[in-house]
Amino acid sequence: MKLVLGLLLATAAPASLAQGVPPPGSSAQGDVAVTIYNNGNALVQDRRELALPIGRSRQEFPDVSAQIRAETVTLSGNGLGIVEQNFDYDLLSPAALMQKAVGETITIVRINPATGAETRERARVLAANGGVVLQIGERIEVLRDDGLPVRVIFDKVPDGLRPRPTLSVTLSASTGGRQPVTLTYLTPGLGWSADYVALFDEAKGTMDVQGWITLNNQSGTAYRNARVLLVAGAVNGQPDTGQRRYAMPPPPLAPGKPLRSAGTESAPRERLGDFYLYPLAERTTIAQAQQKQVSFLEVEGTPATRTYEFTNPWLNTLEEPVSAASVLRFSTSREQGLGDALPAGTVRFYQRDLRGNPQFVGERQIGHTPMGSELGLAIGDAFDVKVQPIVVSRTKLAGDRLGDWWRSTMRYELSNARPQPVTVLLTQSGLYGESKVASQSQPGRRRNADEYVWEVTVPANGRAEVNAAFDTRY
Amino acid sequence: MSLLLLGLALRAEAPAVAVSAAPERVAVTLYRDPNRPAQQRPDLGWLNGVALISEVRRVRLPAGLADLRFEGVAGGIIPQSAIVTGLPGGAVERNRDALLLSAGSLIERQLGQRVMLRRTSRATGEVREEQAVIRSGAAQALVVETAGGFEALRCTGLNDTLVHDSVPEGLSARPTLSVRTRSAQAVEATVTLSYLATNFDWQANYVAELDPSEQRVRLTAWLTLANGDPTSFTGAATQAIAGRLNYDRPGVPAPQSPAVSFRCWPTGRTSDIPLDMPVPVSAVSEDIVVTGSRMTAQAPPPPPPAPMRKGMDAAQEDLGDLKLYRIPEPVTVAARSLKQVRFLERSAVPVRFVYRAGLTDRGRVAAQRVLLMDNRAARGLGVPLPAGQMILLGARGGQKLLLGEGVTGDKAVGEEVEIPLGEAPGLRIDTQPRSTGRREVVITNDSTEARLVEVDLGDGERGNARRDGRAIWRVTVPANAMRRKRF
Repeated sequence: MKLVLGLLLATAAPASLAQGVPPPGSSAQGDVAVTIYNNGNALVQDRRELALPIGRSRQEFPDVSAQIRAETVTLSGNGLGIVEQNFDYDLLSPAALMQKAVGETITIVRINPATGAETRERARVLAANGGVVLQIGERIEVLRDDGLPVRVIFDKVPDGLRPRPTLSVTLSASTGGRQPVTLTYLTPGLGWSADYVALFDEAKGTMDVQGWITLNNQSGTAYRNARVLLVAGAVNGQPDTGQRRYAMPPPPLAPGKPLRSAGTESAPRERLGDFYLYPLAERTTIAQAQQKQVSFLEVEGTPATRTYEFTNPWLNTLEEPVSAASVLRFSTSREQGLGDALPAGTVRFYQRDLRGNPQFVGERQIGHTPMGSELGLAIGDAFDVKVQPIVVSRTKLAGDRLGDWWRSTMRYELSNARPQPVTVLLTQSGLYGESKVASQSQPGRRRNADEYVWEVTVPANGRAEVNAAFDTRY
Repeated sequence: MSLLLLGLALRAEAPAVAVSAAPERVAVTLYRDPNRPAQQRPDLGWLNGVALISEVRRVRLPAGLADLRFEGVAGGIIPQSAIVTGLPGGAVERNRDALLLSAGSLIERQLGQRVMLRRTSRATGEVREEQAVIRSGAAQALVVETAGGFEALRCTGLNDTLVHDSVPEGLSARPTLSVRTRSAQAVEATVTLSYLATNFDWQANYVAELDPSEQRVRLTAWLTLANGDPTSFTGAATQAIAGRLNYDRPGVPAPQSPAVSFRCWPTGRTSDIPLDMPVPVSAVSEDIVVTGSRMTAQAPPPPPPAPMRKGMDAAQEDLGDLKLYRIPEPVTVAARSLKQVRFLERSAVPVRFVYRAGLTDRGRVAAQRVLLMDNRAARGLGVPLPAGQMILLGARGGQKLLLGEGVTGDKAVGEEVEIPLGEAPGLRIDTQPRSTGRREVVITNDSTEARLVEVDLGDGERGNARRDGRAIWRVTVPANAMRRKRF
């Protein structure tokens, strides 16, 4: 009989259950605008239509970021006053349900393990500490103490238990009915960087560059049909909580940093204060755990040249010849460059092989680069261009009040197995300002107190040598 | 050509979905791990080089907005490196979705939705189903609403489970790259998808067979290509790139496949005998489990390789500052495999041996045997030699013997190649201090051949030769003889 009743209830259920259930795939979000910063922070603005009664009411805001910084929430609307804002994260779980049922009456359904027959009883929960103690009529029992199957049915879910952390605002409205309210908050977990594809044509000395904005959503929530604005910069020092690069960087391959001279031109882009803004042209949905890429830059035939650089860190000998760094140089200026500012990201270089297929030839990270800058990106080691510094001799010179002077005679042997002559920017570093150049086989220049630089031409399939002597105090 | 076209008309502005299941043609270019020293063999369970994979795909695009999904790409794809060309309407945006279909995401996405709760009686096998609505998230275990009230799943001791009608939109089995494009009319297009993928590596392996004269070797060199990806590339135009290029480990968002943790209310009892509680169900997807258990086997020792078809040699060309080796025919780069292709064969390369040792304070050391080759055309070589390992084989009658093993870095044409091959135990250098503050060096040679020996004396002006700025005592020690000198 009880079984029949149960089945009847089951078939009657759907109408009552359907209440408050949103249709599949929908979201409580309204008109969403997301502003994303490089450091993994985003500002979300969500304009929703709410049906408000006149006076005080408590409104829940589902479908906000799962990582919402609740302390940054602001709600605004016409004639709305905020009474209080709450962020509740008492989550609905079997344990919480049982804890909150202490003192309440529940239904238990015992199932006979041999026959499957069900017996229903009402029980009062006396305690839920370590085990659930029930009062059934005049008896006191521990739930499932005998290990037999027992279903526990709760009449209701207590107020305040929610499936997800929920933002709620108690507000007072001066007018009733449907009206727009705007919810604004900050969230970590949304970040972006740029990715550049550069196809280098060595014969023409040019490259074609495509720039992509790569944004990443790890905030735990999808943003539907949102207007998206990207800001090249970070407005505070909060550490990145979104996409992470691996902690250990590879050893530096190349001597030079990417930015060789910082530009002074303004890019033809929208700006806000110190930052460039990159609005996406169309509304888009940023799904959870999605990486989205949108093109923002396309330049063809910008001049680019290859140079070779080698830095000897101090006056030492290398046991075998070491490859010079292969450096691609280009400009971001309006006149002879990309004509745009470059947001921080990775530049990947490609070059065509003999069959005309583009092949990957190396990549480099750049920081935010103003327009008009000169860039020199070391993309790898030159297989065919090598340098070997050798200390030919170290002799003691006359001393002075502060110590002895020593003369280090250096020889730099350069080799080039390419069928074209190359120019190597050869740098001797570690001079500490006080070292002097006593003699040199070709003129160079002191770039700064620490470094001395020669431009060395190495003939095709040939060798070159630079000899120099440095006087240093030890 | 396998094409699928699925029109999903959920919303008026919703884009159609076009699926490209597999490439028609594929090209693979392998790059070495720039941070792996030549001494270290590629670890097949942990490959840190990359490959550039170019796929030509035929796709059918509907008119209007469409999401073109690329399936069958390498598992290690770096999505931000993808280049898509050939789309008639260009790309509006590209997406890579990493929220996977899993037990947890199925429940999270169905929150508030109606599902079927199924109970099977252990006693009778009777199956009962009733409708239920999911009321809690997956992280804190499951609370459902049934006709009678609210119940917790897996707390009853019954065999209960949820049955879903359909898979929620946007969940897929593995991270999928898609391009949103807009075309004026329905069109069939050939698109090229190029991307970098991790979990590849390669190195060169040299086999030198020493002539009985000890003056020449027969040199064979092989490209050893390693693919640690679960994807095979069949009939692929295959290249390998030598030279060190800059490449940073990319930040690729990890796939998310939330699990369900079935935690119940307090289940303490009045006795200590454990209940027959169901074990917690983990819903970690296969995709993730597999990465930890990829090929754990170590790389097999370098060749001697299997005999190859005659004439199948990889051709070398210059690519900027790098060297490109092209395998002349399409080959299959199989999932989780090593492949070897010859790129060099020289029948008589003149070699020399020199025995090297450093000066110690006191005591006897064995000299290092070093193989020297001049990488010049006049000396039988004159080709770029990418970094890798070399084995030196000798012959005893008809039987081959291993004489030494060593490594070389990237060597350009015109460079001298020096490969240390291990110690020569019969050639010893004895250093003893003398009262004058000087040291006496004695070299003994137990061989029936004369040996050229170089003792490194360090900085300074002593010795009779210099190498790389260091003073050297270079001396030929005749067969079964000794040489003595003070420094």
